[in-house]
Amino acid sequence: MPDVLKAPLVVEFPFTRSLGPVQSAFLTGLRERVVLGVRTGGDDGRVLVPPVEYDPVTAEELHDLVEVAPTGTVTTWAWNPAPRRGQPLSTPFAWVLVRLDGADTALLHALDAPGPDAVHTGLRVRVRWAAERVGAITDIACFEPYDGEAVQLKGNTGQFENPVTGIVAPARLDYTYSPGRAQSAYIHALGDRRMVAERCPSCRKVYVPPRGACPTCGVATAEQVEVGPRGTVTTFCIVNIKAKNLDIEVPYVYGHIALDGADLALHGRIAGIPYDQVRMGLRVEAVWTEGSRYPDHYRPTGEPDAEYDTYKELL
Amino acid sequence: MTREIAVVAFAQTDHRRTSEEFSEVEMLMPVLHDVLAQTGLKTADIGFTCSGSSDYLAGRAFSFTLALDGVGAWPPISESHVEMDGAWALYEAWTKLLTGDADTALVYSYGKSSPGSVRDVLTRQLDPYYVAPLWPDSVALAALQAQALIDAGDTDEPALAAVAARSRSDASANPHAQLRDPVSQGEYLVRPLRTGDCPPIGDGAAAVILAAGDRARDLCERPAWIRGIDHRIEAHGLGVRDLTDSPSARLAAEKAGAFERPVDTAELHAPFTSQEVVLRKALRLGDDVRVNPSGGALAAHPIMAAGLIRIGEAAARVHRGESDRALGHATSGPCLQQNLVAVLEGDPR
Repeated sequence: MPDVLKAPLVVEFPFTRSLGPVQSAFLTGLRERVVLGVRTGGDDGRVLVPPVEYDPVTAEELHDLVEVAPTGTVTTWAWNPAPRRGQPLSTPFAWVLVRLDGADTALLHALDAPGPDAVHTGLRVRVRWAAERVGAITDIACFEPYDGEAVQLKGNTGQFENPVTGIVAPARLDYTYSPGRAQSAYIHALGDRRMVAERCPSCRKVYVPPRGACPTCGVATAEQVEVGPRGTVTTFCIVNIKAKNLDIEVPYVYGHIALDGADLALHGRIAGIPYDQVRMGLRVEAVWTEGSRYPDHYRPTGEPDAEYDTYKELL
Repeated sequence: MTREIAVVAFAQTDHRRTSEEFSEVEMLMPVLHDVLAQTGLKTADIGFTCSGSSDYLAGRAFSFTLALDGVGAWPPISESHVEMDGAWALYEAWTKLLTGDADTALVYSYGKSSPGSVRDVLTRQLDPYYVAPLWPDSVALAALQAQALIDAGDTDEPALAAVAARSRSDASANPHAQLRDPVSQGEYLVRPLRTGDCPPIGDGAAAVILAAGDRARDLCERPAWIRGIDHRIEAHGLGVRDLTDSPSARLAAEKAGAFERPVDTAELHAPFTSQEVVLRKALRLGDDVRVNPSGGALAAHPIMAAGLIRIGEAAARVHRGESDRALGHATSGPCLQQNLVAVLEGDPR
């Protein structure tokens, strides 16, 4: 078996999320250095911080906003000796659930403390505000130990100028992608300008690119079969919109190509022919550019077009 | 709702730190073949197929559709998928069999944690407004729960270490487990949890076949009858919950009939040692109940398969005559947020 192929894969997306009225008031409040909770209905009337749009027990819609203190008590904690990307602090810190004064539930955040010996359940803490605040949970930079006086509240009820209506939450995950046995073999062979398919031991169909399994029989494919590099266009489309970062002029043609010897069409770009002359049945061949490890595109071979009956099962 | 439905076969991979030489379908296929071979069924004989997986783990979009290649889904089969642990796929298959639409079901799930950083990947399941922007990783959240348990006097570090040691010792009899020998408790990963309190990170897959009534008796010498199965969820806000308890696990167990008679065996999906403490209390498991004879999730934790494996392990003990009434449990979300309980019984011997 050839070496396992690997490549870095970064999945990154800035999620844009709209806020409900309670979330909007809470996050706008953080921007203004005010912490709001929401009061639940009924006789017990608990104050939830962070506030939510719906009661977690009764599912009742909530809207009764009340200001709570930026000071509170640690209800549980966990010492994080090795902060990870995106976490609130880059030096060792404690994760904490903090019940703010005036609240009945606890908020998750980070606590900046010199070490685990300085942290315990019941510790009094206060919010350390971020220098720049935009209306996000990260407007609380972290908590810090606090043994001072109680803070006077102004009774804010969530009315602010220019409330935030959404957040942008960037997300990034890093992977090391490995394509598996069958696709690794296929990619290795492409680098040698060969197209290697795999045959199903049961139905004898030849798949390219091989995915390691026959989707009809549900069994592993293993027998390697060289196919192409010539084939037949079974169907195609004309692309008129230029994709971001793509160095190909539009319009261009993208097609399904049944390589000679394969029982499944693969897809690729068709060039070397005006876009409006590409047709079903056109005979093409793979073109590797200098130094490329895979075909750049397919071009006409000049052979007569294939008869429809020869590829109709591969559409 | 009177149809009798049983787990009639169970198979799993050898769970490993990495399976980078295999694609997901290549990793999964031997397990599918194994579970079909145990019953003599072919794909075409299966009435309903349901799978569980998450594309976030390996960063592969629509990986579950590629995994279907391993089933042989052409001509089209009756099929469904959940972005959850396979235990919830089993729940869907169970309901499908209850309706009478199918007599047999293939349930499978797989997870490849090796391509990514699973502690970070799991932050993406959290509240996207107030919690996910802080990137609290899965170990950190479990550690907050563990500290709450210690503060409440429900456990301490030596007791957690004992759970870790027992699990890995029991796994020595489980050829599929990733950790099969006692491991050092090691340093704090996120205090109070040490590396030994945490599950191994790895890749793996599992599959189960369900069958109804006489079909089950035809396919299996001693079917593991599902006497009850239920799942319940708690609020997503961590600070709203009592992290030292699991009311959702208790309610699921009650609805599944777990408290009607004692079980002799329980396979608990407790990825962290501290979570076994919570579950034993919530599920009222006495010291006479054999907990996680397979080694549990502390010995092998292929995410998305580990819960299904608990039900499969419990069923396999019934099949082998080592249990008459077993509880299988699966969890999902941070700090045991969502819990599924199945009660399995063998016919009297």
